[in-house]
Amino acid sequence: MVERVLIVVAILAVASVAAVWWRGRQGVAREVERAGALSSTTLGAKRGYHATFVQFSTPMCAKCPPTAQLLSRIAAEDRRVVHIEIDAAERLDLARELEIMRTPTILLLDGDGVVVSRISGAPSEQQARDALAAVPRTGTDYSI
Amino acid sequence: MKDIQIDPRGPRFGAFFQLAFSVAALIVGANAGGIAIMAVLLVLFIPGAIIGPQATLQGWVFRTFVRPRLDPPAETESFRPPRFAQQMGLAFSILAVASGLASFETGFFIFTGFVTFASFLNSVFDLCLGCEIYLLFKRVTTRTA
Repeated sequence: MVERVLIVVAILAVASVAAVWWRGRQGVAREVERAGALSSTTLGAKRGYHATFVQFSTPMCAKCPPTAQLLSRIAAEDRRVVHIEIDAAERLDLARELEIMRTPTILLLDGDGVVVSRISGAPSEQQARDALAAVPRTGTDYSI
Repeated sequence: MKDIQIDPRGPRFGAFFQLAFSVAALIVGANAGGIAIMAVLLVLFIPGAIIGPQATLQGWVFRTFVRPRLDPPAETESFRPPRFAQQMGLAFSILAVASGLASFETGFFIFTGFVTFASFLNSVFDLCLGCEIYLLFKRVTTRTA
């Protein structure tokens, strides 16, 4: 009897550790090796001059609409930043190429369209702003 | 098939029942009592696996007694990922009962242990493992246009 209770406790302990670890990874931006750049044509929408949030969503993702609202709001504050939302089910080719494993996944592009970092899971406002601040400047502050 | 949106707190509440049953089965052991408990849990999973979490007894309890006391949900989710999670629960419950009946004690503990693990993560940490696996599964099985 005692050993069975210990088994239960062990399972719950391992599960708790796993959950805390998983939560710690949610919404954290990780810098990505610079591969090719994503053009506006590929994305189907115009990129931002300084940075772009490319959000991959699916219809059955509960956290995607609030995340889209948050990122659109942040993007609206700076005219050089743009938020693009892509339905992963429609653009399976892009999802495969960019290795989108779950939704929401947000790719942060710099001014050249190169992926700077990726966020897996819904970020908090602070996490999104920190990720945006980490995008290096590729152009100038002038738009002409 | 129409995409029904459900309150995400419903399956999470149901997971508490699933957790209680599987923990009880683990403590009682791989005997007639434990097998009976997992068999009851198996039956509880069936409507969820076929129709979705909204069709389960746990879902009914949530709708009738808990939901009226809560504010409307901030976000809703499609029923498909939680339904897939119920299907996984059903599969593991069947394996647990089968292991018990075949006197395969280790199997009983492993499969019941997995139900405990998944329902604990869902009820306490709001982490639905089946839902996470669902998108991966869809990605692997759907062909590009």
